Amino acid sequence: MRVFGAMLVDAYRELNSKRLFWVILGLSAFVTIVYGSIGFDDDGMSMFFGLVNIDNPMLSRDSLISSVLYRSIFTTFMIGLWLAWVATILALISTATIFPDFIAGGSIDMVLSKPVRRPTLFAMKYVVSLLFVLLQVTIFCLGVFLCMGLRLGDWEWKVFAAIPIVTVFFSYLYSISVLVGVWTRSALTALLVTMLVWFSLFSVNMAEGVLYQERTKLVIRTEESDRLLDSLDQRLEALPNNDAAAPVRARVEAEQETALAQRTSVQDTIDQLDDWYRPIKWMQAVMPKTGETIGLLDRWLARDTDVNLMDIMAGTVEIDASTGDFETRDTSADRESLRRRLEEDAEKSLWYIVGTSLVFEAVLLLAAGLIFVRRDY
Amino acid sequence: MTNNGSYAIDLHRVEKTYRGKVRALRGIEMQVHRGEIFGLLGPNGAGKSTLVKIMMTVVRANRATGTILGRPIGHKPTLGRVGYLPEHHRMPPYLTGHQVLDFYAALAGVPRSERRPRARRLLGLVGMEEWADKKLGSYSKGMLQRLGLAQTLMNDPDLVVLDEPTDGVDPVGRRDIRDVLLELRGEGKTVFLNSHLLSELEMVCDRVAILVQGVVAQQGTMHELTAESERYEVAIAGAPPAWVAGDEKLRADAGPNDTTTLIAPRSDAEALQPVLDRLRRESRTILSVKPVRETLEDLFMRAVTDPETGRPHAPGAARNGGSS
Ligand SMILES: Nc1ncnc2c1ncn2[C@@H]1O[C@H](COP(=O)(O)OP(=O)(O)O)[C@@H](O)[C@H]1O
Ligand SMILES: [Mg+2]
Repeated sequence: MRVFGAMLVDAYRELNSKRLFWVILGLSAFVTIVYGSIGFDDDGMSMFFGLVNIDNPMLSRDSLISSVLYRSIFTTFMIGLWLAWVATILALISTATIFPDFIAGGSIDMVLSKPVRRPTLFAMKYVVSLLFVLLQVTIFCLGVFLCMGLRLGDWEWKVFAAIPIVTVFFSYLYSISVLVGVWTRSALTALLVTMLVWFSLFSVNMAEGVLYQERTKLVIRTEESDRLLDSLDQRLEALPNNDAAAPVRARVEAEQETALAQRTSVQDTIDQLDDWYRPIKWMQAVMPKTGETIGLLDRWLARDTDVNLMDIMAGTVEIDASTGDFETRDTSADRESLRRRLEEDAEKSLWYIVGTSLVFEAVLLLAAGLIFVRRDY
Repeated sequence: MTNNGSYAIDLHRVEKTYRGKVRALRGIEMQVHRGEIFGLLGPNGAGKSTLVKIMMTVVRANRATGTILGRPIGHKPTLGRVGYLPEHHRMPPYLTGHQVLDFYAALAGVPRSERRPRARRLLGLVGMEEWADKKLGSYSKGMLQRLGLAQTLMNDPDLVVLDEPTDGVDPVGRRDIRDVLLELRGEGKTVFLNSHLLSELEMVCDRVAILVQGVVAQQGTMHELTAESERYEVAIAGAPPAWVAGDEKLRADAGPNDTTTLIAPRSDAEALQPVLDRLRRESRTILSVKPVRETLEDLFMRAVTDPETGRPHAPGAARNGGSS
């Protein structure tokens, strides 16, 4: 406990001494102030403390949309764009040096010669190095919490869910940095590899998304074919078994054949796609779920209503301008596949998303820990 | 003296081969008594730092038996009673002198209530009070070394291990460090010192070991190690007397300005008296009579010289496949 306390204080002093820490905090403050400058009144929405006004009754104070919008701006832009992208990159740059510095010759000697076991040292150092992000997100959330409360009058405690979520999300990426940093002792290599892995995660997710959409569209077509075949079957059965119906029967049977051939060819394409889709799915399953972890926040912040900004933007929600009511509708195959995706994603459990990611992180940290513990310094 | 309890450090068969087949240590046997200042010397790459790091669990030995403060090597809790200053140490530059002492003392398990007063006292001991609240980034090498020394004492250790403590320190600082070491011995602590600066060790060490290419070449008190070489040198005016050639115990070297140095290679004064009597009888002018013993440097040079080539060993450890 004494050792952990000392390391925590040391971690705080270390991040305190980093210029980037204050830069990120300053940018966070700026982003929060911009967020806080968004207001809603009887006429609509205003930004930058009334500098820009968007007059629209839909966006008036107390409307459902304004509340949804304000929350969505938080999850989509403040968290999704700022914290989960820009701030994370800055934080990765800033923390990449922690472990290489820690194990540098002359510095690690001082620590290893103390009566603390190596695995304990490693674990503690890892945990306290997450303080950097923990502090950043906490201060940020506090700002956002105040903005929401003062602007909308709703004191939304769920905002603070971003603290564990963003910290856990960051820790997935940071574990890569730690492993490479401990292994190569180079902060720069650690940073580059981490960014590369993150980028490839992103690419895999993109590829999966595209494949999913194409595949689902094909699946929808097979479903349509099946329905068509069913109706053709019914028509055949309904036809009287006589010569007068024979030409019709022949036509229906021909149609049936075409439909069947089409279905088979679509199924073939699906099978071909699956050759690519399945391995990508597997890769996704074992890799950390960065995007989905951040997405958890959307889920928790979504109110009893099922609407969110993504739905509005995807066009699956139609808004009645006069009343502000909305309804969800099904349209083209594109939209249908997006709808299915959202539905499937919503079904993924917290334990799946965070659990599998933590397994990934644990494996990396175990490897880093082993290298740390077994090395001669 | 076979009782383990009387040794602060008792090492047997310590061997280390680094990856890359560098045989840094090839079976070290070394004993350090409690309450003494022990000096480990050796040329660059002899394995001094490796040995210290093994004792401090920074490096793992391939093989090591022996004890430190009565506990087996690698016993972590024992390190709470040891202070260690690594070679080329690096302490966090964003901390102040005071914070550094506090941090490492906490890792060493010193309770908070003891850390504050002790840090203040030790900063005074090494003459760094005025720098206590300045960041390490602004320290000079010598100041860092002083602070490092204070750091080793924060847990009030029974054994202090210093790897090249006077590295980068000015002469005043060196004397200060030496004084601190003597003070520590006065308090009954054991000091293990690693250095290639011979004169330094000569001044403070009770016992020394000379490490050459991963083995202990010599070990003992300064007196023991130099006894063999003890001799008297008698400087006289004029050419060497003829009778010296007949005395197998005496040797004559021609000195400068028509003088001669007679060397009696024994340390007992009685045996020298007849020689002096005879010189006086012959009315030779005796310029000086002085007892001479090998300096640590002579001893060291002898130890590191390859008897086959008559030249010092090349620096660095033996490679695998080399003679052992
Ligand atoms: N971490 C290491 N990996 C490989 N070889 C090492 C390592 N540390 C030291 N050595 C080698 O071991 C030998 C002894 O080094 P060292 O103990 O530092 O000597 P000294 O302190 O006496 O100068 C040298 O040849 C050195 O190159
Ligand atoms: Mg050394």
